[in-house]
Amino acid sequence: MLKETQSYPKYAPGTYVSNKDIINKNITYTWWEPEVQYSWSLGPAYSRFLQELKEGRIIGRTCKKCNRVLIPPRMFCEYCYRPTDDWIYLKDTGTIETYSISYLDPNAQRIKDPILIGVISIDGASPQHGIMHYFGEMKPNEIFIGMKVKAIWKPKKERTGSITDIKYFIPIKGGEKI
Amino acid sequence: MTFFEKQTDPTTPMHWYGNMQADYLYLSGVAGDKFFKHIIKNDTFLATKCPKCNKTFFPPRIYCEDCFLEIPHSDWIEIPAKGKVELFTIATVDTYGIKLEKPKVVCMINIDETDGTLLGIIKTDDLEEEFRGIHVEAVFKSKNKREGTLKDILYFKKIE
Repeated sequence: MLKETQSYPKYAPGTYVSNKDIINKNITYTWWEPEVQYSWSLGPAYSRFLQELKEGRIIGRTCKKCNRVLIPPRMFCEYCYRPTDDWIYLKDTGTIETYSISYLDPNAQRIKDPILIGVISIDGASPQHGIMHYFGEMKPNEIFIGMKVKAIWKPKKERTGSITDIKYFIPIKGGEKI
Repeated sequence: MTFFEKQTDPTTPMHWYGNMQADYLYLSGVAGDKFFKHIIKNDTFLATKCPKCNKTFFPPRIYCEDCFLEIPHSDWIEIPAKGKVELFTIATVDTYGIKLEKPKVVCMINIDETDGTLLGIIKTDDLEEEFRGIHVEAVFKSKNKREGTLKDILYFKKIE
């Protein structure tokens, strides 16, 4: 829709409407928000993963043939074409594999304090196997690829069995016991 | 637990619930705007008549779809909010599939003096009646509550 200050293109004759016409209800319209609810079945691997997150643990899955530790867990190894074998608990620490500094929020609005987001390779899993999450308690100029991070969990009462049961990952300082 | 183990408890796998945002804004257009603004203040409908082929459009259009002629302002006509039922169905569930306490009669009404039709609800207690061919009249909301949408028509009632 055109703003008030914008002029109408000569090559496109017609009746123009501005945002103001809609807000002031100068024209008639219908606005509707349909209810589009979905239910995504998580399957055995993701169900266990989220249930363990609720308990404050990260769980992976091993494949004996290719010796990989998969995180997030999967019931089928896509390299070997065979079912995976065992559950394995992993640490809640990891390494930043890749990151992004976003000055846009999820609704594409500009924000002053950027959101730090990236992929964390979880310690104990195979290289480049990890999860995507937020980073916190660090400045945008401090973040780098290869930084060691650890998870900050929500209090047990607030956990719902979701990936956001981990608040964010914070940097591990030198000499800190993990 | 391995891949080959049978799952006997269907509640074990979790489900993730979510809502997709899909709201929309539908503008009435030039003809629709004039029509709905007329409904707000009057208890009658508007239609347009093609000066060349004499076809009467309801809901009003500003172009004749047969002659590709732009219909001038002088050919807008005011018509009574009455019509004849072309076909009907009795709905026993609502849009969410929940059983209605009282079934609704949804019908297609051929508006008098026009070639157009409108979907509406007939308010009646007798569901055994033959609705096809009966004459109905629109019942509007009170004038101060009208918003300029089709919901301003509450229902249709039978007239002799």
